Amino acid sequence: MQPSIIFKNVKKEFLLQEDRTFKEFLPSLLSGKGWATAKEVLHDISFTINQGETVALVGKNGAGKSTILKLIAGVTYPSSGKVSVIGQVAPLIELGAGFHHELSGYENIFLNAAILGMHKKEIELCLSDIIAFSELEEYLHVPLKKYSTGMQMRLAFSIAIHTPAPIILVDEVLAVGDADFQKKCLKRLTEIKNTGDKIIVFVSHDEKSVVNFCERALLLKDGLMITDGSPKTIFNLYS
Amino acid sequence: MFSLLTPFRSHKYLLLQLTQKEIKARYKQSFVGYAWILLNPLAQLAIYTFVFSLVFRFPTNNIPYAIFLFSALLPWTFFQTTILSATNCLVNHADLLKKVAFPREVIPYSVVLGKLVDFIFATAVFFVFLLFYKVTLHASALLFIPIFLIQIVLTTGVSLFLAAANLLYRDIQYLTGLIMLVWFYASPIVYPLSLVPAEYVWAYKLNPMVGLTEAYRSVLFGYPLEISILLWSAIVSVLVFCFGFLFFKKVERVFADVV
Repeated sequence: MQPSIIFKNVKKEFLLQEDRTFKEFLPSLLSGKGWATAKEVLHDISFTINQGETVALVGKNGAGKSTILKLIAGVTYPSSGKVSVIGQVAPLIELGAGFHHELSGYENIFLNAAILGMHKKEIELCLSDIIAFSELEEYLHVPLKKYSTGMQMRLAFSIAIHTPAPIILVDEVLAVGDADFQKKCLKRLTEIKNTGDKIIVFVSHDEKSVVNFCERALLLKDGLMITDGSPKTIFNLYS
Repeated sequence: MFSLLTPFRSHKYLLLQLTQKEIKARYKQSFVGYAWILLNPLAQLAIYTFVFSLVFRFPTNNIPYAIFLFSALLPWTFFQTTILSATNCLVNHADLLKKVAFPREVIPYSVVLGKLVDFIFATAVFFVFLLFYKVTLHASALLFIPIFLIQIVLTTGVSLFLAAANLLYRDIQYLTGLIMLVWFYASPIVYPLSLVPAEYVWAYKLNPMVGLTEAYRSVLFGYPLEISILLWSAIVSVLVFCFGFLFFKKVERVFADVV
């Protein structure tokens, strides 16, 4: 089955629970009024991403990029409209998420890979690749809490990049880590991209990496999709 | 309802990894490590034995008080520690809930399994005590296992409900500590059922832990087993599990939005 992502008239609203004391809460409950206000963060978003595409989501903070990633990852659901995602999704998890700080790097590889949906055999197959890519051989049996943020990022990235999942979500993780490792990651992502059978969704404010890496970009503003086009035209509009 | 068992197949390895994490991570950076699994029940045992066999004296049918207590305290400790840590388990995994999709019940299940391993270790101490007091178990002691399975069902049900509820309202975690304390004394763990005033026994027995605790002692020491209250406990356990599971599944969709 070919991986694909289809958003059809997707709206998403969050309930904002304001801090209220019980004294204020009770009358509003009795009068039947909602005590949480809804805020729509995505208005009527539609797009389709097909196999082999590398798409950047571009927009200012609060434009709805992360919400779209969450909808693709399947951790949250649209308030109306339809999201259909075919194929397993591997989010390049932000620093630390899915890691346990008391466990060693080695133990964390298995834990994190399992969270990304890999089975034991799959992990064992690419274990040496993961370790080699992370360049952390000598720290493998040290508890993760002794790692620097850059080292944790390298480990997280190395695991995620080896999942067999056809859909990969990259959420600004490249911002951490030194220039050399960033280059190595982009190179590896380019290799994955060139196999042509995966989907990569990329969120970044860095114009250069988006223009170099993606052939398509979606510009978002306040929960609306402004344009869908080449990264160059998008960034002309954006900045 | 078919979805009940799918996580055990599709996410078997994740469940295993999370369970291992539960067990391993808890005692890292600690000097005695896994020994805490044994030290905690032993300390409790020493305290309760002192208070309830030297200060107050409870009739325990010629069974040494420590053995009488331990046979109920171990299953209770499993019940209590599971529920207390399950209540916080989703909140503690907030970062995962926001990023990766997998059946969420895997997280509370891993807590139950992790505590089950603790329980098995602690049982070893119970056997040492049996040797020490020269108490022999009755042949029906093997029935302990099916009765304990009922307790696992009950424990999992309560855990699912509280884990999800605590994600919605953090008051739950404070409330849980209080409820478990009341529940402990509302069950015949440190004292025998025979001390409960006869006119209240029917109400007392509504608590599903009463039937389970009594059944443990009956099968271990060969007293007559009171089937009717065990049956009641089993029915309540299954109902609690169904309610907990359905509630969990119903609010699961908004986990990432509210966490």
